[in-house]
Amino acid sequence: MSIEKLNSFLAPTYENFPKGRMISLVTLRTSLSELILRTEGTGEPMCREFVQAGSTGDSRRQVVQRLVMTKRKQVAPERRKGREHLRAYNLLYTIKKKEEILTCSLNTNAPCEMCIDCFLYGFAAGGGGAQKSRIWTEDAFSILTATDTLSDRTINAIFETGTMRDEKGNASTALNTSEYIKPGVHFLDVVTLKDVTADEFRYLTGNILLTGRYGAVSSRVGRMENQILGIFGGIAELPSSLELVQAIHDQFTTIGTPLEHPLDNGDLIDATKTVIASWTNRRGVSLQLSDEELAAVIADVDQHWSDAEREAFLRRLDQSYEPFRQVGESKKGKGKKKETAEAGS
Amino acid sequence: MPAQLNLLDKAESATTPRFNTAKLVELWCAEPVFFASRELSDTYYTEGAIGNYALAYAFGWARSPYRLTSSEAGRPRYIEDLTPLNHECYVLPAWSANGSPTFRFERFNALSDAYWYAMTNNRVATAREDVLRVRRGDKPNTFRPSNYPQTGRLRLIERNNRFHTLVFGNHDIPEYIRLGKFMSKVRVQILEEMPITNLPAAEYSSQAYFSTADLPSGINLLSFDLISIPPTPLVKNLRFHAEAWQAGNFIVPANLQFCGGGVQSGV
Ligand SMILES: [Zn+2]
Repeated sequence: MSIEKLNSFLAPTYENFPKGRMISLVTLRTSLSELILRTEGTGEPMCREFVQAGSTGDSRRQVVQRLVMTKRKQVAPERRKGREHLRAYNLLYTIKKKEEILTCSLNTNAPCEMCIDCFLYGFAAGGGGAQKSRIWTEDAFSILTATDTLSDRTINAIFETGTMRDEKGNASTALNTSEYIKPGVHFLDVVTLKDVTADEFRYLTGNILLTGRYGAVSSRVGRMENQILGIFGGIAELPSSLELVQAIHDQFTTIGTPLEHPLDNGDLIDATKTVIASWTNRRGVSLQLSDEELAAVIADVDQHWSDAEREAFLRRLDQSYEPFRQVGESKKGKGKKKETAEAGS
Repeated sequence: MPAQLNLLDKAESATTPRFNTAKLVELWCAEPVFFASRELSDTYYTEGAIGNYALAYAFGWARSPYRLTSSEAGRPRYIEDLTPLNHECYVLPAWSANGSPTFRFERFNALSDAYWYAMTNNRVATAREDVLRVRRGDKPNTFRPSNYPQTGRLRLIERNNRFHTLVFGNHDIPEYIRLGKFMSKVRVQILEEMPITNLPAAEYSSQAYFSTADLPSGINLLSFDLISIPPTPLVKNLRFHAEAWQAGNFIVPANLQFCGGGVQSGV
């Protein structure tokens, strides 16, 4: 299987100390429905930012407003996606706090420190220990400007009668204008995985590929599709998402294709592949998977997440952390954690 | 530890500079950068400087483990991790390249992965089964205030800010590093490489930033502005009387080293 192509950048087993192993995924996120990405809370405007349009010559001096998908807005739903399955197979651990038995939970001050999610995405607080995340995301930017990609909608609160008037004939006063991101808007993103094992790679990549909804949690919109356009291995990080989007802007200008909504998926993928093709010339970036290798790696990930193999795959990954769940000899009593020794170095 | 310190003392006794060249390095914030420098009610402030200990770790000069046990989490390892580097490399805290960094404010809001959740008194409650108990007037643990922040405001260094710093010695610097609590991506570019010359003890002023714990012993600090950030306060607009190193237009006190070599620091 072609995931072996990445072997020199994969850890043989979980290790507590960083080594220079990085795998980076160039990820395209495309909205498939109306999408709402606000800074925080309702009433706030959609996340957008003034940035330089491109990175060369005139385009550097041109400032545009692009939509931003913050790193938190990406990671939170992807973690939840993986955790749904951990929960389904009872792979979230419990901790005892005072009188209560608490199951591993995000943001509730009760990380179990033992599950796949805790090992990969990290945690702080809890029992006083901490685990750093080994998945590093970045704020993703839209290729097109905010003006091209946003639209307004007036929301009418309709009564149960299905009309704007209630049974007594009173008109609904609940009229609201809300801003949304149009379907077919592209965000580009660089995701960096550090010191992950092959199964951890499959888990993280699966979370990205299987997550289909982002943005305001309560909204029924927010369908999004993720595609991986490039996989790199090396001892250094790739350029930032912002630089990637700027380089693609310049690439469109070079070939003379207008940047307007709706942007053709194929054109965008071509432009992205052209830009990232030169990245292996950068210091510390030594490998880019070919299109065939990339397709085979994605097929490998899909296979592990298939109905037939998912449970066994997740249990095997869970089992791989077992040595780090043992109570160390020197540490007696109710210690939940082992003094995680530096493995393999 | 003691053996290590002795070694460093010996290395220090030589009067020649430890480094022949210094690099002027620019840091470009591809993302907003956050350090919890200061807390005022529910707002967490980042100062307009980047600490040099954070930079040393971010450059990969020292490795810290992925998992910290509770005993390690509260205890920094700067002396163990950074003082061994002192005869090979050193980096100053970074200052804003245009003199005035820009900031942004953001709200943060912890959310749960449960279908049902409620924001109680600084706590995201997820135990739906306890709602009835709350209605009866009980105060179950799952609804008690949490001891770590669940909502608040952050002041971050805005994207696109540029910082400058001097890097001494020939240790590698990666092209991209991650900084701060949210591992923000920052691009690193070497602008200039400059030879270092020794200047005799005299009165000098410096436009660079310094970590107070890294200043040489015997330096006479005449005036400075203090930036109070963990783990060690920084000084700027420093006038001092001591031997100095000159690199290009920069004059800095001679013999700067992490944690003052681990001897006289209060860290
Ligand atoms: Zn957990």
